[in-house]
Formats: sequence, structure tokens, C-alpha cells
Amino acid sequence: MSHERDVVRSELRWGLVTAAAVSVIMVFVIFAGVVMHINPPSNVERINPQNLHLSAEFTEANLGTKVEANGQVTARIVTTQFAFVPRCIVLPADTPVTLRLSSPDVIHGILISGTNVNTMVVPGYVSQVHTVFRRTGDLLMPCHEFCGLGHSEMLATVRVVPKAAFHPGADGRAACAEK
Amino acid sequence: MGDDDGLTDDAVKEALRETPKGALALAGLTVGLLMLAWVAIYVFVFLPRGPVG
Repeated sequence: MSHERDVVRSELRWGLVTAAAVSVIMVFVIFAGVVMHINPPSNVERINPQNLHLSAEFTEANLGTKVEANGQVTARIVTTQFAFVPRCIVLPADTPVTLRLSSPDVIHGILISGTNVNTMVVPGYVSQVHTVFRRTGDLLMPCHEFCGLGHSEMLATVRVVPKAAFHPGADGRAACAEK
Repeated sequence: MGDDDGLTDDAVKEALRETPKGALALAGLTVGLLMLAWVAIYVFVFLPRGPVG
């Protein structure tokens, strides 16, 4: 009997240890979300994938980086089998930027290397991520959701330039310069 | 049976009392190291990458 009691006691103690570990993780996650505004991207916005190329926002001419009238820097990207349109986007560092993505065909996913940007791109929805890039340079943006035979070839470049070197045109658009 | 392997009942009971301590120490150490690694990556890799949402 006393042996069984010991077992129960040690199991309860171990339960407390695991509860404490989970609590510590939850405190970190809540702190990051509330204090540092690091949250999973969440945006429920529907769009018809069948005529994405004819929509007001994701027409070919409207893709890429644009500084909106209110100063907000937004990059619009279409993820399609098996390429990003455009293949390279330029964005300023140390500036709040918004990425808006949509897919006309199958589920894709993106991440930008060395950053916390990471989202799925589901046909029928607009994925939106707000972030601030701290590092400059060419960052790799691959598709991270298997989307077909050409999946491994599907990648783009996010060119983060210093704020002072970000020069959008008169129409507010900025594109990667040919290297 | 206790006589066959040279162990007395008391020796077996003593061993059964001690064994869980080692198991708990090992489990505590591994879980502790896992937590340390998680916190280190969270603090030194995830947080410095800046806000996202």
C-alpha cells in the first residue's frame, strides 16, 4: 500500500512539473503577443480565386510594392504554380510593412528566411502579414507548402533596403532594380 | 526466490525505494534541458526577429 502511495505521489509531483513547464511557455507566448505584438497572422478576407487576375487588387499592374496614400508600405504578391508574381519585391527596413498574398490555384505557403514572417496562402482568401524588417539584404522567400511537381523551384526574393535607400516612384511603386 | 539470487526482501524493497529517485532525476534533467533550449531559442532567436501579425 505504501509503495502505491509513493507512486501516486511521485506521479502527482511530475504532473506539477509538466503543468509548470506549460505555464512558463504560455506566459512567454502571452507576453510576446500582448507586449511585443508578435502574433500569428490572422486575416479572414475572401476573394474569388477564379478571377483573381481581374480583381481590383491583384491585377498584374497592381502587384509588387506600393506606398499607399497614407504612407503605408504594402506588397501584393500572387502565389501560383510554380512562381511568385513578382519574383522579387523591394521593401524598406525599420518600417512597418504589410504583405498581402493570394493564390488562384492551390494552397501555397510562404516564409521569409531570418524573419518571423510565415503564413499559408489559401485560394479564396487574402493572407496578410504585418512586420518590420530589421536586417537589410536579399532574403529568400520559398513556398513552404507542397503545391505540386514544381514546388521546389518556387521561390522569390525579398530585397530589404535601408530606409534612406528606398525610393518609390511618383506613383508610389517600387520594384527590384536589375542586378 | 529471494534466496536463489542472494537478495533479501529488505534489499529488494530498498532498491525499489531508490529507483524512482533516479528516474525522476533523469526525467527532470531532460525536461529541464528541453525547457532551457526552448526559452533560449524564444528569447535569442524568435523575439529579436521583431513583430509579426
